[in-house]
Amino acid sequence: MDLHASRWVQIACVLLTLALVAASCTTRANDSQFFGLVKPPAENVLRYISGDEPESLDPQVSSGQPEARIYMAIFAGLVEYGPKTDAPIPELAEHWEVNNDNTEFTFHLRPNLHWSNGDPLTAQDFVYSFRRALSPALASRSAYLAYYIKYAEGYNSGAMFVRDPQSGAFVLARDVELEAQTKAAETQSPSAPVDQKQLAEHPELAKGETTELDTPFHHFMHEPDRLVVSGDEAERAKAAATNPKLKAALAGKELVPVKAEDIGVEAPDEQTVRISLAQPAPFFVGLLAHQLFRPVPRQAIERFGAAWTQPQNMICSGAFKLEQWKPYNVIVVGRNPQYWDASNVNLDKIYFYPTNEATTMMNMYKAGEVDATYNHTVPPAWLDRIRPLKDYMNAPEMATEYYQINITKPPMNDVRVRKAFNMAIDKQALSDFRKVTKPLYAFMPEGIFPGYAKVPGDGFDPAKARKLLAEAGYRDASGNYDPTKFPINQVELSYNPSESNRAVAEFVQAQWKQNLKLTVPLKAIEWKTFLDTRSRLEYKGFSRAGWIGDYADPFTFLALFYTPKGDNGTGWWDPKYVKMLDDANHQLDPQKRYALLAQAESYMLDAQPVIPLLTNATNLMKKPYVKGMYPNPQTLHAWKFVYIERDPAKWDYGVPDMSAE
Amino acid sequence: MLRFIMRRILVTIPMVLIVVTLTWGLIRLAPGNFYSGEKKLPPAVEKNLREKYGLNQPWYVQYYRLMRNVVQLDFGTSLKYEGQSVNSILVRTVPVSAILGLLAYLLALTVGLIAGVLAALKQNSKIDYASMALAMLGISLPSFVLGPLLVLIFSLTLYWLPPARWNGFPSWNLLLPVLTLSAIYMAYIARLTRSGMLEVLRSDYIRTARAKGLKELDVILRHALRGGLLPVVSFTGPALALLVTGTVVVERIFALPGLGNYFINANLNRDEPLIIGIVAFTSIVILLFNLLVDIAYAYIDPRIRY
Repeated sequence: MDLHASRWVQIACVLLTLALVAASCTTRANDSQFFGLVKPPAENVLRYISGDEPESLDPQVSSGQPEARIYMAIFAGLVEYGPKTDAPIPELAEHWEVNNDNTEFTFHLRPNLHWSNGDPLTAQDFVYSFRRALSPALASRSAYLAYYIKYAEGYNSGAMFVRDPQSGAFVLARDVELEAQTKAAETQSPSAPVDQKQLAEHPELAKGETTELDTPFHHFMHEPDRLVVSGDEAERAKAAATNPKLKAALAGKELVPVKAEDIGVEAPDEQTVRISLAQPAPFFVGLLAHQLFRPVPRQAIERFGAAWTQPQNMICSGAFKLEQWKPYNVIVVGRNPQYWDASNVNLDKIYFYPTNEATTMMNMYKAGEVDATYNHTVPPAWLDRIRPLKDYMNAPEMATEYYQINITKPPMNDVRVRKAFNMAIDKQALSDFRKVTKPLYAFMPEGIFPGYAKVPGDGFDPAKARKLLAEAGYRDASGNYDPTKFPINQVELSYNPSESNRAVAEFVQAQWKQNLKLTVPLKAIEWKTFLDTRSRLEYKGFSRAGWIGDYADPFTFLALFYTPKGDNGTGWWDPKYVKMLDDANHQLDPQKRYALLAQAESYMLDAQPVIPLLTNATNLMKKPYVKGMYPNPQTLHAWKFVYIERDPAKWDYGVPDMSAE
Repeated sequence: MLRFIMRRILVTIPMVLIVVTLTWGLIRLAPGNFYSGEKKLPPAVEKNLREKYGLNQPWYVQYYRLMRNVVQLDFGTSLKYEGQSVNSILVRTVPVSAILGLLAYLLALTVGLIAGVLAALKQNSKIDYASMALAMLGISLPSFVLGPLLVLIFSLTLYWLPPARWNGFPSWNLLLPVLTLSAIYMAYIARLTRSGMLEVLRSDYIRTARAKGLKELDVILRHALRGGLLPVVSFTGPALALLVTGTVVVERIFALPGLGNYFINANLNRDEPLIIGIVAFTSIVILLFNLLVDIAYAYIDPRIRY
């Protein structure tokens, strides 16, 4: 029986193989320009794979991109991500003004805005939403994005103001600053602080004045910064121990918690939202498109609590409103007739299908059951076949990969050595090898920020690299580069384990071996431990890093080296660089500001604390008949511009033109 | 009998509590947290989160709270899915998995029984070899191979059936996942039925029945099948329990909103209440189905008494 059985198995296997071959042949025979069926949906709808099941439909709770794309349909912000570049475009705010040092933004709402239930949407809704976003009880994971707002961090972290119980006067931040800090602070805020009494008498002294909208709160915002201390007693004591002025200031004072009402957001009238920042941040408008800053319906939240996100309770403000939410299955949004620009919304409905299983979504796409997918959905093994197709969207992304260098330890404390290792990598070859990427020579991802002058950075030059190493002292008697002199045991390349990180590390290792005759040992470290060694600068040599921009502005990348702590991870920190960034952020003219930022980038690259490797590229599918949807740097799509084109002559054959907004 | 059932149900409670405790400990040992992601959260944000979900309390307080909730069959609120209680997730997902599992098992039972009985009756015939070869194929072909294969043929080549998604019951979307899911069970049932039947067909009481001149159909359906089914029945308990409580692979391949899909994501997300809720539910169902099997045994085999 066994013999016969195996014969049957053989026959069955042959049959299956035949079926597979037949299957692959038939698919090849299809229209080879696109992947699978190309048949526009019968109705005027878009069916979109949105990735992971949303954690919540509350835009202030979940921080992820899968959710962001759904929020973009049902909640409108002051501004929206532009469909082509992600740069902010007016949404609920018709226009806005910035004061002369980029610390105060005044937004003017469009007239007659409404929630989907018909209630008016006013400036007060923004004040409520911003305060909610920052409340410690909500514990929003994106709350830190709002820390640019004055006293926002203090409120969110439960910090305290310090008040003299007798006079009622608050202790100011500058009162406890040590000498060095005071100097730095002066360079940061060029406008001299205005005395409160003087302000009360002469309201026009306030910066960025629109005198008719002057309010007591506005004055409060323009008082010198109050001292904010930790709400935790132990932490306060620690800070006081290192700062005698702070210790003196705390003695005999009472602590007043920073309240929601203290954060720098106010509604001077129904149609104006004024935001005061703790520091100059010209890119702040771009940040306001983030879900955290989209207004949420106070009425529904106060009535239903956490259940306000259920379709029957939900009140929306976007181009669409929530119709159905079946977790792990589908989210359906339909036209919102109350939306201010409802007549320009193209689609009747959008179906968001939450799945993160790459093969499954590719199957659905191929079978023509969905019209587009979210980013990074084509599995690596499929790329060779899918990349040439005209519905594959491959465009630069606002994300980079680079190696940090620990410049505090020899031999990497020598800039010539750092430059040599950078020049010894053929980044074009690396990018070809990685497929979904573009080579990165400077620190800014290329082609993302229109108008930002590209910093060239050093190219691939192994001869010069060897020369630099020889100059750095690693040479033989005749002055030629000698790899045996290099202390290779002092250098490692550490990365957190993942298939792609290892592949890149091995590639770079091979390049160095080939071009510098040096074999740098690789070291894989578990993720949490890796983060720890990186931030404490305990690694030797190189450590893998990647960065995804938070907002469409070069500062999101350059700010990595703004402080020596945090995500810097290199030990390189230069007050001159900080000054250059500050100067740029005080600059009102965007062109001049970009030029200053590019100078700062170039200055940083001269010190080479990092080895730039790759700009990531988008990796998604979109049927040719889906128009008005672009693989922009964050692949965030403003849905009201998306439409279904039924005339094949007007379809997108390849990546659509994204040059102008 | 009643005492036996009561005793078994009482034993279930400590068993579930032990399972929950072990799961709770394992989650604690796993690195990472439900809020840890690619970007490091500022300490203030992290502190707010830990306070909101009571993670700043000592472990025994958290454990006590968990046990108190489990005893009341209230598993709390999901950490990942804000505002969704674990119970509401169970209520929503169990029917999906149950429909899928039951349909798959019914299909497996029907086809498996018929194939198994035929194979046993016509031992060493072509029918026997064919059905056992197919059964072998079903056992050795894992669902993560069979599922995509069926999708490739029926959805992506012939464009007959949808490749994925839940579309309610009944719908064409169910056909491929049910087929994928049932294959291995079909195969097992066919083989178990065949061997069970072969054993029974040679036993004395069948010979007696035949000698008494009963019709062949009566002999098979009333006497042989009853005995030959015993292995299938004992297989049914755990199999059905696993089928009903979600099948991770098939639910993921076909993007179905069932318990299995939630379970795998809950683990990846370190969503402690959801993991514990699903584990507790699954263990209750498994213990319950085993009890049902024991009861069914008593009815099928008169020699068994508790």
